[in-house]
Amino acid sequence: MISAALAIAVTTGIFIALSVLLLIAERYLVNYGSCTISLNSGSTLFDQPGGTTLLAALYDHKVYVPSACGGKGSCGFCKVAVLSGGGPLLPTELPFVSRAEQRSGVRLACQVKVKQDIAIQVPEALLAVKEFRARVAGIRQLTYDIKEINLELIEPERISHHPGQYIQLQAPDPDGGFIHRAYSISSPVYEDTKVQLVVRLVPGGIASAYVHLLAEGDEVIFTGPYGEFRVSDDPEREIVLVGGGCGMAPLKNIVYTAESRWPGRRLKLFFGARSTRDIFYLDSYKELMADHPNLQVVYALSDPLAPEEQWDGQTGFIHISVDKYLDAGSKRQAFLCGPPPMIDAVMRILKDKGMREEDIFYDKF
Amino acid sequence: MAGSTTTAAPTRSRGFQPFGGKGRAILLEGIYKANPVTKQVLGICIFLAVTNRVANSLVMGAALTFVTAMSNLFISTLRNSIPRRIRMIAQVAIIATFVIIIDQLFRGFYWSMSKQLGPYVALIITSCVVMGRAEAYAMQNPPLPSLLDGLANGIGYAIILVLIGVVRELVGAGTILGYTILPPAWYVNNLIFLLAPGAFFTGGFLIWILETLNPTSQEPPAGGTEAKR
Amino acid sequence: MNLTPVWAVFLGSIFTNNILFASFLGMCSFLVCSNRISTAIGLGSAVTFVMFFTTIINFLIYRYILVPLGLDFVSFIIFIAVIAAFVQFLEMFVERFSPELYYALGIFLPLITVNCAILGASLFMVIRNYDFGQTVFYGLGAGLGWFLAIALMAGLRERMGYSNVPVALRRTGIIMLMAGVIAMTFMGFTGMLSTQ
Repeated sequence: MISAALAIAVTTGIFIALSVLLLIAERYLVNYGSCTISLNSGSTLFDQPGGTTLLAALYDHKVYVPSACGGKGSCGFCKVAVLSGGGPLLPTELPFVSRAEQRSGVRLACQVKVKQDIAIQVPEALLAVKEFRARVAGIRQLTYDIKEINLELIEPERISHHPGQYIQLQAPDPDGGFIHRAYSISSPVYEDTKVQLVVRLVPGGIASAYVHLLAEGDEVIFTGPYGEFRVSDDPEREIVLVGGGCGMAPLKNIVYTAESRWPGRRLKLFFGARSTRDIFYLDSYKELMADHPNLQVVYALSDPLAPEEQWDGQTGFIHISVDKYLDAGSKRQAFLCGPPPMIDAVMRILKDKGMREEDIFYDKF
Repeated sequence: MAGSTTTAAPTRSRGFQPFGGKGRAILLEGIYKANPVTKQVLGICIFLAVTNRVANSLVMGAALTFVTAMSNLFISTLRNSIPRRIRMIAQVAIIATFVIIIDQLFRGFYWSMSKQLGPYVALIITSCVVMGRAEAYAMQNPPLPSLLDGLANGIGYAIILVLIGVVRELVGAGTILGYTILPPAWYVNNLIFLLAPGAFFTGGFLIWILETLNPTSQEPPAGGTEAKR
Repeated sequence: MNLTPVWAVFLGSIFTNNILFASFLGMCSFLVCSNRISTAIGLGSAVTFVMFFTTIINFLIYRYILVPLGLDFVSFIIFIAVIAAFVQFLEMFVERFSPELYYALGIFLPLITVNCAILGASLFMVIRNYDFGQTVFYGLGAGLGWFLAIALMAGLRERMGYSNVPVALRRTGIIMLMAGVIAMTFMGFTGMLSTQ
């Protein structure tokens, strides 16, 4: 009896001693003191206690570098140029940073640890990114797995963005902390007190599960706007939009924004889906088309149709329709949002029609 | 993926049947299809060390089955209460407890065998068989299936141990369990099989045979090839 | 009391009692990691370092705390805890003072915690009743012996890239057979030392 109690006591004692030693070690070894982060050649300076990742440090100082994987090193979004003080390149960064990028000091902010004074360079546009608090104003089920989420901004009250840009929505991580996922803004830019998202429920996806469980009145946090889509101001340039699934979001934004800003501008929207139950927004577009003859909307279904489905529109993959309806050579810009194979196929077709690479913008979902 | 729910409805109303469909699947998996030694390459250390005698193999097999089954049971029971950060430590502590129990039992009642087995009983703790099952199965499944899985893996391991033990002892000393099978009159003992190299060779040949009969496919199982939309 | 002189303990632990070829410990982590000499060197150094220090620490705890209190049956748990704590400590230490070393070795450290060889070394230290001096040389020797073993096997594995191994023997099978042959050669060292 005594021996058992003694055993437990000694074991616990040794465990505690080991833990204490480890804690002390952590205190002294992992303590880096305060480091200065110098942004964009000294235009901004932060003091940061050392030991955190650059990504976390920047977030703490309200510089919202995009990140889709929450700092785990699996998305490659958080690239910043580190001019000095970042330490050697890590093997975890190699898959995402090309040789040319390495030469100019590009690193993944989530892998760089701030252990000393560090100087970095971030794109100016990133400094304009803000954190927003918003309330869910309404939710609409668009298809069996896609929902439309309407958010009303609380603070700041307005968002100014370009059509086609996206936000990074914060969702709780079951492992603790938060993750961020990018969702494009589907509401047009002139509705600047709200943000509308189109989100598909991805099986096993943490963020989409979170979004699909939101109810009216819930508060969410997101950062933005991000994204390089830029619609040219020249009303003579045709806009070609190609998408699939929730790639519809940025395209819808562009359609409505463009129609409001340049009413006569030629617009073509191509949307690819699998079957009739993946279709949404078709009726709203048909209404829009009735008033705007310059807008052409083509939906194409790729799965063989079941006998009870009524579909008199295009079938096959969407790039076939793109090929069919676009003539060669006219001045245009293209915005593509969808799965990588779709984007590759459409890009080939567009280049065959004479488009330049710099006029094609894409987001691979 | 158009609404295909592939989860089989558990037969809750009939209770858990060890030798019914699901139970049988677990047993088959542990003993043959995913045999710890040959397929998962776990627990090699112990395997090589104790198979020089059938008696050792039997005892070690039993010990390992006991530890795997019991720790699977306890870890599975506690799986929802263990905080994430100390998950590994908790598992090791539970496994170590059962190993200590077995080790003390051997020392008390079966001293000669304890000396033969030496440190290898204690090494069950680090043996990937136990840890591997705890992590892969017990942490995600309810207690009774976990117990069964532990038993299955343990038995699978034990079967291999005894099989190889028979081969090694027979070839190396002409005996099984101490009883002379191949009389010294015409059989010259192939002592190398009782020693380290023999262990490696026999292990290698065993893997060769089993791989030929039941090849491991090269690619990981197909899944997750749908576009992540 | 173990009467083997320390130099015999040292040489014995590398050659005649090689912890991998004679006691079979540490095969698992070697089998699953890559087959290049550079990786083997990284893993080997890490294991040697950990083995050396943990056997000493475990000896001190065993001899001066557990035995006097009659608690030697708890030694398994304590040994594992010490090993795990030491590896954690090592990770922090290396990351702080040598980032390059950390990036080279860092991925091995979690593997080491469950390496049977490290626990095995402490267990053998207890079974063979080593005193402090013998433990020091044993810890170092056993680590170096393991290092030698996996470096040999990694080198051979690299060479075998050009050989025609039967499909069923690839990966694990051929390593076992290789290890068997090497074990036989190491047995040739047995005459080297007349005491154990």
